[in-house]
Amino acid sequence: MHEVSIAQSLLDIATENCKKNGYKGIESIKVKIGRASAVVPDALLFAFDAMKIDTIAEKACLTIEEIPVGGFCNNCNSNFTVEEAYVLSCPRCGGTSFRIESGRELDIYEMEVF
Amino acid sequence: MKVKVVTRILEANDRIAVENRKLFNEADIYVINLMSAPGAGKTSLIERTIKELYGKLRIGVIEGDIAGTEDARRIESLNIPVIQINTGGACHLDANMINEAIVDLPLKDLDLLIIENVGNLVCPAEFKVGEDVKVMLLSIAEGDDKPLKYPLMFQESSVLILNKIDLLPYTNADIGKIKKDSLSLNPSLKIFEVSCKTGERIGEWAEWIQLQVK
Repeated sequence: MHEVSIAQSLLDIATENCKKNGYKGIESIKVKIGRASAVVPDALLFAFDAMKIDTIAEKACLTIEEIPVGGFCNNCNSNFTVEEAYVLSCPRCGGTSFRIESGRELDIYEMEVF
Repeated sequence: MKVKVVTRILEANDRIAVENRKLFNEADIYVINLMSAPGAGKTSLIERTIKELYGKLRIGVIEGDIAGTEDARRIESLNIPVIQINTGGACHLDANMINEAIVDLPLKDLDLLIIENVGNLVCPAEFKVGEDVKVMLLSIAEGDDKPLKYPLMFQESSVLILNKIDLLPYTNADIGKIKKDSLSLNPSLKIFEVSCKTGERIGEWAEWIQLQVK
């Protein structure tokens, strides 16, 4: 449900950036959303499309790159990714000493402007 | 034209959270962000905590709800300064809501501020409000599958309070599994087991708060 807040923040950042740099409009915005963040991509797309109306991002399409949860296992010294939104043990060796390195992203990283 | 804008989407919220933090530090006040699903017993825990710490700590409360003032009324009847925030549909409190609410609280006269977040096991975990500590409450009646179903909340919190332990004989919930899975997700999680109904073991939690405030 908080995808509406996320979409609003996203639009604020994008439009502020355009104002500052003198761009007239936005064609596309790319974001990275980690699977361990509590954001549902479809809900974010829906919220974004509803909220972009009457802004300079009105025609913009939002592209979401989903980032899987991944980490580094201290036991088998290798990187791993998992399907779930969490890691309880290394999927390779079952070790429980690891550090999480990705999956919590909630970042805007690129836009196309005119 | 492509432009790189590498920014955390919640950067604006985080910035206001830092502002709040500064205000809390200036007033020398310890702030708890209390989160749980609806009905886990957040308001009951706050009531018990207030009674337990009566005369020991000066407490203020912010109540976050989608609508209504029932919770604030319960706290007000204990002669505690309380602000009710109605989010009007939003499923979480954010840093700006807290920033606006604390203007009406006598921060300088408080030792402890408890912020009761909107009942929701997902969204509040993502929004910092300027707290010292995130505390989550899970009533054992919600079931022992919750840590693995809602991992973010368990990972983001520093303290887990298991409430309604008086109901243990009447449910299938395996409290050992709740603790094991929670600690697997977050090995440094501090866990308390309480009953807000009977008051059982509330003292341990209240004692922990006192240690943090000092």
